[in-house]
This record gives sequence, C-alpha cells and structure tokens, in this order.
Amino acid sequence: MANQRALPQSKESLLQNYNKRLKDDIRSILDNLTEIIKTAKVEDETQVSRATQAEQDHYEMHVRAANIVRAGESLMKLVSDLKQFLILNDFPSVNEAISLQNQQLRSLQEECDKKLTSLRDEIAIDLYELEEEYYSSSYSQLDSTDLPLCEAYRRWDSWASPDGGDISGSAHGGVEDTDGPTSQETSPKHDLNGHGTTAAVDEP
Amino acid sequence: MANDRLRALEEVENQIATILQCAGNIVLELSKDKHNASFLDRQLSQFTGSVNRVETELSSQIRYLTQVATGQPHEGSTYSARKDCQMALNRAEYARVKLGELGRTCEVMLDPQP
Repeated sequence: MANQRALPQSKESLLQNYNKRLKDDIRSILDNLTEIIKTAKVEDETQVSRATQAEQDHYEMHVRAANIVRAGESLMKLVSDLKQFLILNDFPSVNEAISLQNQQLRSLQEECDKKLTSLRDEIAIDLYELEEEYYSSSYSQLDSTDLPLCEAYRRWDSWASPDGGDISGSAHGGVEDTDGPTSQETSPKHDLNGHGTTAAVDEP
Repeated sequence: MANDRLRALEEVENQIATILQCAGNIVLELSKDKHNASFLDRQLSQFTGSVNRVETELSSQIRYLTQVATGQPHEGSTYSARKDCQMALNRAEYARVKLGELGRTCEVMLDPQP
C-alpha cells in the first residue's frame, strides 16, 4: 500500500466497494455449495418426519442454489464494472492506444502525400513536354505577351546561366512558330527537367 | 496492454460460468441414487480451481486500478492526426477524380464519335 496515492474519495470508495463485493460473492458461492452438500447427506434420525425433513431440505437447497446463481450474477456485474473502470481510468493503456493510433494515422498521411508528390512530379514532366509540343505546333493560339511554360523555363534557364547570351535569341522563338514547327522540332534540351544541357536557340 | 487486461476479464467471465456449471453438476450428481465419486472429485477440483483463479485475477485487477486511477478524466485525443489524415485522403481522392476526368477527355478526343 506504499504506492497508493491519495485518490479522490469517490474513486477510493468505489475500489473498496469492488473489493467488498468480490469477497462477499466468493464467500456466498462457497458457503452455499458447502451447505448444499451437507444437506444432501441422508440422516437416519430426524426431529420431524422424513417427509417434512425432505421438504425442508428441498426448499433449503432451492434457496441456496438461487443464492449461488445470484452471487455468480453479481460477480459478472462486478467484472462488467471493472471493465468500464479500466477503460475510463487506465491512463497508461489509454496513452499507449492514443499514441499508436496517432502514429498509424501520421504514417498513412505521409505515405499519401509522398505518393501525391511523386505523381505531381511525373505529371509535371509530361505536361512540360506536352506544352512544348503544343505551343510549337500550328494549333497554338499564342499571344505574344503570353509565354508557354516551356518558353518560360527556357528563359529562366538562360537567365540563370552565367553567360546569359540566349536572352535575345530565345525571346522570339515562341512567336515565330505560328506557321508550324521549324527549327524547334528538334529534341528540347533544357536543364529544368533533366532532359539536356543546352537551350535551343532559334535562328530566324 | 489494455487489450490484455480486458481479455483477462473476459476469461474471468468464462471462469465464473465454469464455477456455476460445476456447482450444478455436483448437485445433479448428488441427486442420483448412486454417485460417481471420481466425477464428483473432478468437478469439485475444477470448481475450487476456478474460484481461486477468479478471486486472484479480480483482486489483481482491483489492485492495479488502485495504483493507476487518478480520478481525473483523460483529455487525450487523436482528432488532429485523424483530421490531417482525412485531408490527405481527400487530396488523393481529388487528384484521382481530376485524372479520371482528364483521361475521359483524352479518350473523347482520340475517339471522336461519328
């Protein structure tokens, strides 16, 4: 009992009540079965007639059997109360269950986001190629002030490079291709998605 | 950890049923004219063992609860992690829906209906 902390009176009295119920029910079961077994013994000498004694023994056994069943049912109720108390007040196991659930949910979320990120990267690569193909074809309705994604990346590459010599060359590349694919139909080479090393320079 | 204790309590419930079953078998056997002594001994030993196990286990559970119970309500929650996970699943579902629409659009473009 050295480890017992100062519990609120309600909890302490509740646990003491559980102990008392346990002891009483076990004692009731044992005593009643013992008395039934004693009563089952046939005695030759009785104070009343055998019929009366038999009737009395019969009634007593009924009552004691009913007491055993009542005590068993009371024990089942006690177990149910203990389960409820355990679920509500067993903090170590509740903390463990919460942390385990949080861990599972976070790992599922991370896996989901990781797959979405890889999907995004794959689609970005395909979109880049598709846009380049589209805007270099005759179907493009491109405004001179509206840059396609591939052109924007090409300009960004040229600005990012230390030479910076491709700025004027690539500025008209998107606009002059309205008649159809000319020199840009060669494979696009850009650093952004790892397709190549040099930017395509459009010679008018 | 919690599941182990709850399973132990369920086992105690089975033991209580065994106690009542053994008591009934003993009384039934005593009601016969000729008793089977070995059967009575078996039932009685099983009855005694079950009673001892029930008492020991329930006392142990009550002792454990005396040590860990604080009287305060537990305020832990998995709400934030569950909400984040739900939002991630919603993002994935949205991406799936959009890709499905894109796929159907491509199919329509590639196979123009007459």
